[in-house]
Amino acid sequence: MPEDRPWYRDPRVVVARRDVASLSREKTIVLALLIQLFVAGFSSFLVVGLTSLYDPGSVSAGEVEMAVTGDARDALLDAAAEQEGADAVAYRNPDAAILAFQERRVDAVLNARYVEAASGDGNRIAVTARVPEGSVRSTLVVVEVRRVLNALERQERFERADSLDTDPVPLPPEASASPYFGFTYTVLVPLLLFLPAFISGSVVVDTITEEIERGTLELLRVAPVSLLDVVDGKALGMVLLAPAQALLWVLLLLVNGIPVSNVPAILLFVTAVAALVVTIGVVLGVAMRRRRPAQLLYSVLTLVVFGAAVLLPEHPATTVAKLAVDSPTLLTYGHVAGGTLLAVAAYAVARRYVADVDADAL
Amino acid sequence: MQWDKLRRVAKWEVTKNAGGIDRRTLAITAVAVVAMGGVAAIAVAGASPGLNADIYRVGVEESSPYYGVAAADGSFRIQDPNPKAVRRGEQELAFDGDRLLVPPQSGKQAAALSALRDSTESYNDRTLAREDNQTAAFPVSVTVVYQEQGGPNPLDPRGEATGDDGGTDGSSGGGGATDGSGEGTTTDGDGGTGAGDGGGGSSASGDGAAGGGGGANLGNIGARLTGDVQGGTPSDIAPPFPFESLVLAFLYIVPMNFVIQAYGSSMLSERLNRRGELLLVTPASRGDIVGGKTLPYFLGAVGVAAAITAALRFSGVAPSGSAIAVLAIVPIAMLFLAATFCGAMFARSFKELTFVTVTITVSLTSYAFIPAIFTDVTPIALISPLTLVVMDLTGQSVSLSEFAFSTVPPLVTALVLFGLGAGLYREEDMFTQRAIPLKVLDALAGRIKSRKSALKMSAILLPLVVVAELVAVAFLFVLDSVSLNVFGTNQTLAVVIVLGVVAVVEELAKSLHLYAGYAHARYERTLRSAIGLGVLSGLGFFVAEKGLLIARLSNLESLPVGNAALQGATPPSGVPLWVVALLFLFAPLALHSVTAAISSVGAQRGRGAYAAGVGVAVLVHIAYNLTVVVSLA
Repeated sequence: MPEDRPWYRDPRVVVARRDVASLSREKTIVLALLIQLFVAGFSSFLVVGLTSLYDPGSVSAGEVEMAVTGDARDALLDAAAEQEGADAVAYRNPDAAILAFQERRVDAVLNARYVEAASGDGNRIAVTARVPEGSVRSTLVVVEVRRVLNALERQERFERADSLDTDPVPLPPEASASPYFGFTYTVLVPLLLFLPAFISGSVVVDTITEEIERGTLELLRVAPVSLLDVVDGKALGMVLLAPAQALLWVLLLLVNGIPVSNVPAILLFVTAVAALVVTIGVVLGVAMRRRRPAQLLYSVLTLVVFGAAVLLPEHPATTVAKLAVDSPTLLTYGHVAGGTLLAVAAYAVARRYVADVDADAL
Repeated sequence: MQWDKLRRVAKWEVTKNAGGIDRRTLAITAVAVVAMGGVAAIAVAGASPGLNADIYRVGVEESSPYYGVAAADGSFRIQDPNPKAVRRGEQELAFDGDRLLVPPQSGKQAAALSALRDSTESYNDRTLAREDNQTAAFPVSVTVVYQEQGGPNPLDPRGEATGDDGGTDGSSGGGGATDGSGEGTTTDGDGGTGAGDGGGGSSASGDGAAGGGGGANLGNIGARLTGDVQGGTPSDIAPPFPFESLVLAFLYIVPMNFVIQAYGSSMLSERLNRRGELLLVTPASRGDIVGGKTLPYFLGAVGVAAAITAALRFSGVAPSGSAIAVLAIVPIAMLFLAATFCGAMFARSFKELTFVTVTITVSLTSYAFIPAIFTDVTPIALISPLTLVVMDLTGQSVSLSEFAFSTVPPLVTALVLFGLGAGLYREEDMFTQRAIPLKVLDALAGRIKSRKSALKMSAILLPLVVVAELVAVAFLFVLDSVSLNVFGTNQTLAVVIVLGVVAVVEELAKSLHLYAGYAHARYERTLRSAIGLGVLSGLGFFVAEKGLLIARLSNLESLPVGNAALQGATPPSGVPLWVVALLFLFAPLALHSVTAAISSVGAQRGRGAYAAGVGVAVLVHIAYNLTVVVSLA
């Protein structure tokens, strides 16, 4: 191998370029990005849809009208007054309230009465909540009813504080926070950043087993490259593809008003995870030689490895979340460094294994 | 198709071809699966920090009442309070006693504050549960009664999302009211006597079944849902959402992904190095080969589903799981396999197959999963067969018409996909490398014999259209509750989107095969022939759609959602018969023919003109649909 060759003519780089080029030729990379966009959109859609069901305040919902009856209605009205999403109206006549419910003038009927507690120490407020059945709106109504009743419970506890050994902790002030904040950083961002890595590993399995199954590895071996060079090149291309896609997602999130902090550390970590996953793919591809068993084992093993990461002091998804939301600790940086070291070591071991494989037997 | 030949191919697939999966692979897989179980057990046991560990930094001293709250919740990291650090963005919240020192500035600080608020509420409930005076600790007890409301509701999202007309909506509400009122009256009189009732009531429209003890017993939460809990406090109210059952249902979907991966590899490897030629030259027919190669994977998928059901049933997690859950998985398994088969026929390389497989996994999983989320809320959930699984696991009864409504469309769709893919299972197509879109056209053109084929193809593609439209309705149904709220008065947004999706899907289904026919020179490229083909295609679509309507009227009447997919299919009452005939027979026929002819004229001129033609056809279709909806509203 002459030493005066420029770096981009290095056989490993050539193989890497060829693999990435074939991805773009088949337009599969476009498909991959579309899939990721779909997964992201799908999970955001789920969360936005579900959060709007459970947290009506999050999407300036129309107010939930409640009819309040019974002898404890004044306490309930007080509690409802502090809730923005609820509008409570007192009805003296319970039948009129039921009628209003039947005619859809109110969304719920709350009947609140003082009853003697079963244990005999004072009385309780017993509330019967009548809510509509069988539509998405009923979920919204139930959530709003729960919110009002929680406020009622707080208020009653406060009044009965003398009978309690420990005072309940007062609630901190309300804040107008995005209800998706936690989800975005702990689920969506890690999902988007890790997905490219897992796809990369899967593609490495494909490209290696395909060369073997089609017999084209033979042709490659005619060229002055060793099996190790071929594997290096294929791994290199796929490992580098993952952080490139991750960067794309970070920019896209930024455009959507979700800033991601500590981008260099995140990209390093994503690269390390991609390298680890690709190493698994390389070893499986060379060892199994056929796509079906190799892919099967690849998906099972990566699932196990990713699941087993729960046993680490910090799950890799949490590491990414903490970096992205800018709350990193020493432990977080420790994971980034540890992940990088582990990836380098694992790939070095994998190279030794590949170097020992008899290429002519493939 | 001959059974013994098919069986022989299946046997060959299992013994010879599956040699790729040897004992070593099986052993490693088994070890990995066991390891996965161990990891899951550890994770469930709570030995690991949650995913949102330590994302908010809270400055509290030990004397502050919030110290205990923050210490008990993994998402907070406790620091010394430091207002300067808060302003620098290095700490989210700082408290002196229970006083917040710096009002939240950034989104992160606001999120931290509302997380702390939620956390405080559950912390209070936990500490107060240890109080001696439980009456003072939990002064409010709740009973939730679910009851059907009468009368028309302008805000009812059901009529809204589906683009349905008022007449049918009213009748569907009437149908549902019968069981609603029956349920309401039983719990009516007893006010707030039973706290246990409160829990029972909160299991929502789990009907009597959940309360009757037949429901899924899924740990503590399940116990609370089934009414075993003593105190019905406000925090115990659970909105109708069968989360636990969904987690179980996910168990059924996961193995599908492994099955289709192996299946896809096996199918594509037939196409490498002309290996499939061996089978093609045997006396076995195409159907025998495809059926035989598919059968083992199909049996495997269904077998796994049966094993999961049995495990859930006999471990007591979901004691009511029965054969219905397994039967409901059959169409899902078929759909996964059919889509993978087409993918393997289209793909050029393993890499491409991987991406196609991932696409199939993602889209079919969401098809099965999203509607099932609303199992307890609305009949639209029945679009996905997975809903039947959830219903079966939670002990609700499934009627025959519900079963048919849920399983027939995906089953027929799967058969259509197998048919299209099998069109490519021949020497001249299997071993050639073409881009995926061209292969799709090949598959369609393979079924075209003469001009009459235009009629047949539109009818054949109808199941795909129905499934796509049902899925669109299910997806937009969720969005509707959002758009309804966000846009206040503008309630027609979801309707417009649904109509748009319907138009796009139907126009593509009517014209794609025409374009394939032109591309393969099966049809004459003249204006007259183009218009004639368009009319034939529209007619085929119309006939198939009305055939579906007849099937639906005969046994699926009870389902209001049936109206949703094919809007305008049921005549509203109080309209003269000739108007009905005109509106519901001739107008749609004219529409389908005209729009198909427009696309057809475009298709005969090439790709760009085809795209333009479809665009115009879609616009015409949307305009027509909007007119119908507005005039009937």
